[in-house]
Amino acid sequence: MGNDQRRFGMLALLLALALVLAACGQPAPGTGGTTGGGGATGAGPTPAPAGEPIKIGAIFDLTGATADVGTPYSKGQIAYIDWRNANGGVAGRQLQLISQDYAYEVPRAEELYTQFVTQDRVVVFSGWGTGDTEALKGRISEDQIPFISASYSAELADPAKTPFNFLVAPTYSDQMIIAMKWALEDWKAKGNSDAPKFAYLFNDSPFGRSPLADGTAFAEANGVETPLEVPSPRGATDLTPQLTQIRDFGANYVFLQNVSTPAALAIKNAKSLGLDIQFVCLNWCANELLIKLAGADAEGVVGAIPFDPAAEGARVALEFAKEKGIDYGGADSTFVQGWTAMSILVAGIEKTLADGKELTGENIRNTLQTMGAIDTGGVTQPIVFSDTDHAGAKSLRIFRVENGTWAAITDFISAR
Amino acid sequence: MQSGTFHTNYAADMALRPYWPQRLRIALVLVAVLVFPWFADRYWLNLANTIAIAAIGAIGLNILVGYTGQISIGQGGFLAVGAFSAGLMAARLDLPMWLTVPIASLFTAAVGAFFGLPSLRLKGLYLAIATLAAQEIITWVLTHGKLLGIGESLSIPRETSNIFGIPMTAIGNPDFAFYWVTVGCLILTVIFVSNLFRSRTGRAFVAIRDQDIAAQVIGVDLFRYKLLAFATSSFFAGMAGALTAHYRGIISWERFTIDTSILYLAMIIIGGLGSVSGSIYGAAFMTLLPAFLSNLARALSGAVPQINSYLPYMQQGAFGLAIILFLIFEPEGIVKMWRNVKDYFRLWPFSY
Repeated sequence: MGNDQRRFGMLALLLALALVLAACGQPAPGTGGTTGGGGATGAGPTPAPAGEPIKIGAIFDLTGATADVGTPYSKGQIAYIDWRNANGGVAGRQLQLISQDYAYEVPRAEELYTQFVTQDRVVVFSGWGTGDTEALKGRISEDQIPFISASYSAELADPAKTPFNFLVAPTYSDQMIIAMKWALEDWKAKGNSDAPKFAYLFNDSPFGRSPLADGTAFAEANGVETPLEVPSPRGATDLTPQLTQIRDFGANYVFLQNVSTPAALAIKNAKSLGLDIQFVCLNWCANELLIKLAGADAEGVVGAIPFDPAAEGARVALEFAKEKGIDYGGADSTFVQGWTAMSILVAGIEKTLADGKELTGENIRNTLQTMGAIDTGGVTQPIVFSDTDHAGAKSLRIFRVENGTWAAITDFISAR
Repeated sequence: MQSGTFHTNYAADMALRPYWPQRLRIALVLVAVLVFPWFADRYWLNLANTIAIAAIGAIGLNILVGYTGQISIGQGGFLAVGAFSAGLMAARLDLPMWLTVPIASLFTAAVGAFFGLPSLRLKGLYLAIATLAAQEIITWVLTHGKLLGIGESLSIPRETSNIFGIPMTAIGNPDFAFYWVTVGCLILTVIFVSNLFRSRTGRAFVAIRDQDIAAQVIGVDLFRYKLLAFATSSFFAGMAGALTAHYRGIISWERFTIDTSILYLAMIIIGGLGSVSGSIYGAAFMTLLPAFLSNLARALSGAVPQINSYLPYMQQGAFGLAIILFLIFEPEGIVKMWRNVKDYFRLWPFSY
């Protein structure tokens, strides 16, 4: 009967109202989205933690457009916090990670950032995408929150403009230039005397477009024809039209600025089209997921990998993951990347506390700028920030897929 | 006790809100709106601003879809036009907010009228696809931002966010200061649109929705009023976009994709088609539901740690489920639910 329906509707409305009110009244105290502060079970050298936990905010992409790499990255970040807490925390204080999935949507990122910073009072923040980090940069500076994003857009590296953003890998622009340097060498080594042709196949977003202008400037300065820009639409299931465009242009090297899933698709499509082009992946597709997804077709693909999972410093991360049974889908390098990025934020906190300073955003920022090289155990070159440059890493090695694994084929190359 | 509509003079007959409970409710809502920012923290102010801006855009869309019956899935594109025209004026010409918002709204109205041209020939789903084209064309222009001299994103100088020379920072933190701007704009929008549908123009819109041929027969110029509906609707979309630009301080096209258009459509369907207050309820619902779910997830994750890895997916599922339940149990939207609640009390104990 209509009346019953009405009553049900009213009940539902009242219930919803009550729930909303409950949420308003008590904005979930303490308990972080993922990691609570109670991990003091390990045989840490420091006795029971004293003082309040140190709050760290983070947004992850677990369900959005970049979730394939966002998930292992987030697991790496959470694992680092758990590992740190199991080993006594920082200066006897526990770390508390307050994190949520934001589905790669800028408005969600803004909302969660505001909540974590103003309600939970996090002291540092770990971000993810280029679009959202750039959208937040004004607020980050106003709120004075040291912010390490998984976006290495060159826009974020200048402390004069974004004084609280820190980059732990070479900027996308640098990665592109390094990849192009390798490509030019490779072309020459193959006995060609003319200039190769370049093309970009990139994620259709600020992330994808970030390195294009600087890459093109570098290519043109080295006598290469203006590279072809081909956006790869989000959620595409077939990239044949894009690849056909690249084939008609006659590109020899295609630079992939995308996440693993669409990049693997491009590589597989290219194989079935029979294209003879060299794919070069930048950071976010040069990982184990790509090999898993593209299978044998990934063989010979080259990647700019800023975080080396085979390094000594990565062992502790991978062993901890094994011990705790953390499933990150086999993406070792992305897991290690998340771990390392978080470790650098925490290094800033640790040094600030060791110096006896109050744990404010400004103090942590100043510490990061002045503490000199941060050693990552060979995962990256030591990370150095200064008050004029927040791009902490300048060089990386080029890897190639050989027999189903990434193998380093060059020494560290820097963009300049 | 009121048992019917008995107006004894013309003034009462013409009044927008003739009964004292309605006036009391408006007064209470106004008091709540004025008091809220003094007690809310920045997180809730941020949500309130998001809702207010979304509500302006949703009211705009409701003029077109709910009142005039012209389906549009191009709202995201029109928001983008407003945002980027205001942003470009602020960034390149250093125009202050109190100029950029109205100019951008007018400009968007013109763009909206242009993209409304196909509505003369097309109806229903066909028109929807034509507005989809508007969305795609606008996004294309923005992603190929070199045409307009925009990079990946456009930063709006903070100084331009002032009202008649008074900088926003003088009022308080940005969330608090913008609350007055967004809510002020929303109130003006509500007053304008509520009255619009008591005028000849508004009634012409409704006549077109109900039966366009009959409307033409009684002397409604279809071409003129359809375009006017597109222009009015886009005007508010432009206002919402321009406010977004100034409030966020930086904009990129990612914010104005087809997803945004669909979200706005969902807002007015859930809130109530052809209702100003419904648009506001819908905007609030669609903004608060994800926030509520994520807060619920946080509260739960403390109690049930294992649930963590599934929560993001459950959140998305719950979002979809809530929408479906709404549509099944109250297809006329939240505004109808509210009416049911009122009727229940008004007609009690003889509610048949």
